[in-house]
Amino acid sequence: MSESTLFLVTFIFYFLAAFFYFSYFFSKKENLAKTGFSIAFIGLLLHTAALIMRTVESGHAPFTNMYESLSFLAWSAILAYVIIEWKFKIRKAGALFMLVVIAIMALASSPLMPKEATPLVPALQSYWLWLHVSVTLLGEAFFALAFVTSIMYLVADSKEKKGKAKKTGISSEKLDSISYRCIAIGFPLFTLGGLVFGMIWAYYAWGSYWSWDPKEVWSLITWFVFALYLHTRIVMGWKGRRSAYIAVLGFLAALFTYFGVNYLLAGLHSYA
Amino acid sequence: MKSLIKFFSSVKLAIVLLIIITCASILGTLIPQQRSAAEYAVRYGQLAGLLIRLQFTNLYHSWWYNGLLFLFSLNIIICTLNRLSPKFKRVFQPRLRFETKNINSLKIREKFRKNWNLARTREELGREFSARHYRLKEEKKEARSFLLARKKTLGLFGSDIVHLGLLIILAGGIISGLGGFKADLTLFEGQVLPVPKADFQVRLDKFETEFYPDGRVRDWKSTLTVLENEKPQLSKIVEVNHPLAYQGFAFYQSGYGWDWESPSLEIWVKKRKDPSFLRKLEFKVGQRVSLGDDDIQLIALHFLPDFIINDKNEITSRSNEPNNPAAFIEGWQDEQRIFSGWIFAKFPDFARIHSEKEMDLTLELRDFKSSQFSVIQASKDPGVNIIWIGCGFLMLGLALAFYWPIREVKVILEESHGKTEVTAGGIASKNRDAFQSEFEKIMTSLRRSK
Repeated sequence: MSESTLFLVTFIFYFLAAFFYFSYFFSKKENLAKTGFSIAFIGLLLHTAALIMRTVESGHAPFTNMYESLSFLAWSAILAYVIIEWKFKIRKAGALFMLVVIAIMALASSPLMPKEATPLVPALQSYWLWLHVSVTLLGEAFFALAFVTSIMYLVADSKEKKGKAKKTGISSEKLDSISYRCIAIGFPLFTLGGLVFGMIWAYYAWGSYWSWDPKEVWSLITWFVFALYLHTRIVMGWKGRRSAYIAVLGFLAALFTYFGVNYLLAGLHSYA
Repeated sequence: MKSLIKFFSSVKLAIVLLIIITCASILGTLIPQQRSAAEYAVRYGQLAGLLIRLQFTNLYHSWWYNGLLFLFSLNIIICTLNRLSPKFKRVFQPRLRFETKNINSLKIREKFRKNWNLARTREELGREFSARHYRLKEEKKEARSFLLARKKTLGLFGSDIVHLGLLIILAGGIISGLGGFKADLTLFEGQVLPVPKADFQVRLDKFETEFYPDGRVRDWKSTLTVLENEKPQLSKIVEVNHPLAYQGFAFYQSGYGWDWESPSLEIWVKKRKDPSFLRKLEFKVGQRVSLGDDDIQLIALHFLPDFIINDKNEITSRSNEPNNPAAFIEGWQDEQRIFSGWIFAKFPDFARIHSEKEMDLTLELRDFKSSQFSVIQASKDPGVNIIWIGCGFLMLGLALAFYWPIREVKVILEESHGKTEVTAGGIASKNRDAFQSEFEKIMTSLRRSK
C-alpha cells in the first residue's frame, strides 16, 4: 500500500469515527461513542504508519510542506484527543472535534496542496526541524481541543441558563475545566516547541534568534493570548464564558500563525 | 513613590499592557516594516508621513513599543516581588498553630479518633507522610500537636521562575541589541578579510554548491579558516544550519553570487564567406584582443548575466543569476569602430550587431567564467547565552507551575484519655483529584494500622 492510499484509508476511518460520534451525540447511546473511539484509534495507528512511510520514502521529517504539516497536525489532534478522552472522558466533544480533524484532513488532501515530497532546501536540513515543528504542532493540537471544548462550553452554558440543559452528557463546569487542562498541556508545549526551539533553530540557521518575522510575531501574539487566559483565570479568578472566549481567540491566533501568515504576510518562514 | 509601586503591582495593569502590546504587535505585522519612504507613499498615500513619524513603519524598534515592553517588565518585577514575600513566609515560616476551624473550611478533610496515645499516633503519621515524600514541620502545645506536611513546595514558585525567565530573556534582548552587530563579508576563494571589531581574519578556502539530482540546491558550503597574525587557528566547513563559532563571533553561510564585473568570455569568431575560418578567443570584459588578420580588434564592454529590456526600454539585468548571459562587443579597425552589439550565450542566432559596412564576421558567446563569491555573515551577539538561560528558567517555571503543584496537609492531634483525635485537611491548588486520593490513602492507613 502506498503512502497516499494509506492516507486516504485513514481519512475514511476518521469519517467513520465522526459518524459514530455524531450518532452518539444525538442518540446518547454509550456504545456508539465507544465504537467511534475505537475507530478513531485505529485511524491514528494507520495515520502513524502513513507518516512513517512518508518519512522513509522522502528521507526527511514528514512536515516540510503544507500537505505534510496539515497531515501531521491532524495526527497530533487525534493523539491529543485520544489522551484527553482516555483521561477525562469527553465523548460529547468527539463529534465536533472529529469535524475539526476532518476539515484539516480535507485541506491537506485538497488539490491546492502539492503532495510530492521534495528534497529539503538547505535551511530545513537540521534536526531542529523535527523538534521545532512536531512539538509546536502537538501544542497547537491541544489548543484545538481547548477551542472545541470552549465552544461546547459556550453552547452548554447558554442552554443551562435557559434551563434547557439535559441531565446526560458533561456539565458545562467540566467542559470549562477540561478546556483549562488542554491549555495547561498545550501552553508549555507551544512555548517549548514554537518559541524556545524556534529561537534556537533561528539562531543556527538565520544567525539571529529573533528577527520580528511575521510568523515569529504571530507566535508571540498567540502566546500572549494564552498568557492572558492563564492570568485572568488563575490570578483574577475568571472562569466560564470569559475564559472560553479567550481560549477561542487564542486558538484563532494559533491558526493564523500556522496558516494565515504563510498566505497573507511575507516573511522568512516561507516553507510551511 | 508608594503610589507608583502600587500602580505597577496591579495585575490589571499587566493585563491591560499585555492587550496593548498584543494589538501593537499585530499592527506591526499588517504594516510592512522597514521599507523605503517611497514605498509607503505609494501604499498609504497621505497617511505615509504620519505612519513614519509615529514609527509604525519600524514598530518593533520604536521608542514607544520598547517603552511598553519596559513598563511591562517593571510591572512583572513588582508583581512578582509583591507575591514573593508571602510565598517565602508560607514556605519558611509557616504558621503552625492553625485553628480547627481552618481545617474545617477545607474541602479535603477528615476527622477521626485513634485508640493510641498522641506520641504513637504522631509516629505512625510521620511514617506515612515520609513514605510519600512529605516533609514535616511540627509544633506542640499542651496536649495538642500541630503538624504541617508538605511536598513539591518548589511548585509554588513556578510562576515566579517563569517571570524571572522572561525578564532574563528581555535583558538578553537588550544586551543583544546594544552590544551585538552583524556584517556581511563577501569572500572569493583564497581571499582573506579582517573581521570587523575583532583582531582576527577569515579566509575562504573553498566555496561549492551541491545540487540534488533534479537540479535543486542541496547545500552551499564554504570552507573557512580563522587567521590570527596570519596563523591559521581553526578551519570549518560552514553551511546553512552549521555556523562557525570563534571568540564570541559566529559565521553563517548567508549568500553567494558571481562577480559579473569582469568575467572571462570565450567568443568564437567565424566568417560567413569562409567556413574554414574559426578563431576561439578568450578574454576578460574590458580587454582588447586582436583577431589576428585584418587588424580588427575586439573589445567586450559589458556583460549582463540575465539580459532583459525592461518596460522603460532600458537594457538591464533581471537578476544576478546567469539565466540569459549576454555580452556587448565592439569591433575596431584603424581607430574606428566598425561594429557593435549584443551577443547571447543561449540564443546565438539572436545576435544584434550593428555595422556601418557590410560585415562578414559572426560572433558567438560560447562560454563565460566568472569567479563565484560566498557571502558570510559575521555576527557577534553577547546576549544569546543569556537568552538560552532565560529560556531554561522559562521552561523550568512552566513545568513547575503546571506539573509540580504544592501539596500541603495540616493536621491537629489532640490527646484525651489515652486516645488521640485526628483532624486533618489538605490544600491542593491543582490536580485536586490525585491529591485527594493520596490524602485519603494516608488517613485510611493511619486509621487501620494496629
